[in-house]
Amino acid sequence: MKTATTTSAAKARTDTRLVDALNLVLADSYALMALTHLAHWNIEGPDFFELHKAFEQQYRELFEAIDEIAERVRALDAFAVGGLNKLARLAGMEEFSSPMPQKDYVAGLIVAHEKVMDDASRARHLAGEVDDLETQDLMIRRITFHQKTVWMLKSCLK
Amino acid sequence: MTTTRPPALTPAPAATVPCACTPADCRERCAVEVIDGLLRAAGAVRGAEMDALLDLRWLLRRREDPEGVLALFCQLRRSMEERHYLAFYRLRRWLENHCYATVRLCAGGPERVSPVRLDRFCVEAIRGHCLQTALAPGELAGASRVRFHFATLQ
Repeated sequence: MKTATTTSAAKARTDTRLVDALNLVLADSYALMALTHLAHWNIEGPDFFELHKAFEQQYRELFEAIDEIAERVRALDAFAVGGLNKLARLAGMEEFSSPMPQKDYVAGLIVAHEKVMDDASRARHLAGEVDDLETQDLMIRRITFHQKTVWMLKSCLK
Repeated sequence: MTTTRPPALTPAPAATVPCACTPADCRERCAVEVIDGLLRAAGAVRGAEMDALLDLRWLLRRREDPEGVLALFCQLRRSMEERHYLAFYRLRRWLENHCYATVRLCAGGPERVSPVRLDRFCVEAIRGHCLQTALAPGELAGASRVRFHFATLQ
């Protein structure tokens, strides 16, 4: 007898929209990690130490998340996207033109986090449509991380 | 008596720059949407800023007077950016992606296209930067003219 989990996994595997949506979140997260890393290196100003450390925590978290998202794509019998050019093109995020004012790094990262949240929400919705609770759970955790980070970054601008 | 005609607001077709942003794939918050957000936020806007924001919104919807848009944006930026940094960052990025300048170094000369960078706080400084960007190394600006345009919506 098939269990509910195997049925939903089979449905998710055949849904290319979900895999595409997950790969987009993967590309977004990679692009955001690169932007955060750049901000970590190049930020200057009175809040340097705090932001330098905060950005480091954020890009480390993103690095782990990227692995988890890619492995979820593989668990759905699909292949994860890769390669810097392809990831950047797929994510379509604006790059930072360093040097920039300290607050521009923060604002730019907020905009980038919002893009990941939008795409992760879409993936969560698609996962819901095919009853893929595991992918849904992963996307909910990603959205929660980005919401929290946006809140923290916005607080820096006040 | 001869009358001088004002310069045409529409750039030559060769100088138009396609706008990278299309409604289907635009992920940035559009300028009008950002202004609406500011207008909706309770206590976000002070007296005269409300009128200026409404004027800017109207100019952005008409898309006919890019210099007027930039002038009003700079005026509002000077008074509001400190309180609403993110909103003005979004506006700035949107304008940079949707506006460009054409530079003519001398009367009758060819037009050069220059990006508009809003890291300056008044239109004259932005104009000067556009001119500087358009000049080749060692080239001098004589009777130059810089005009702003909205990128063509695809």
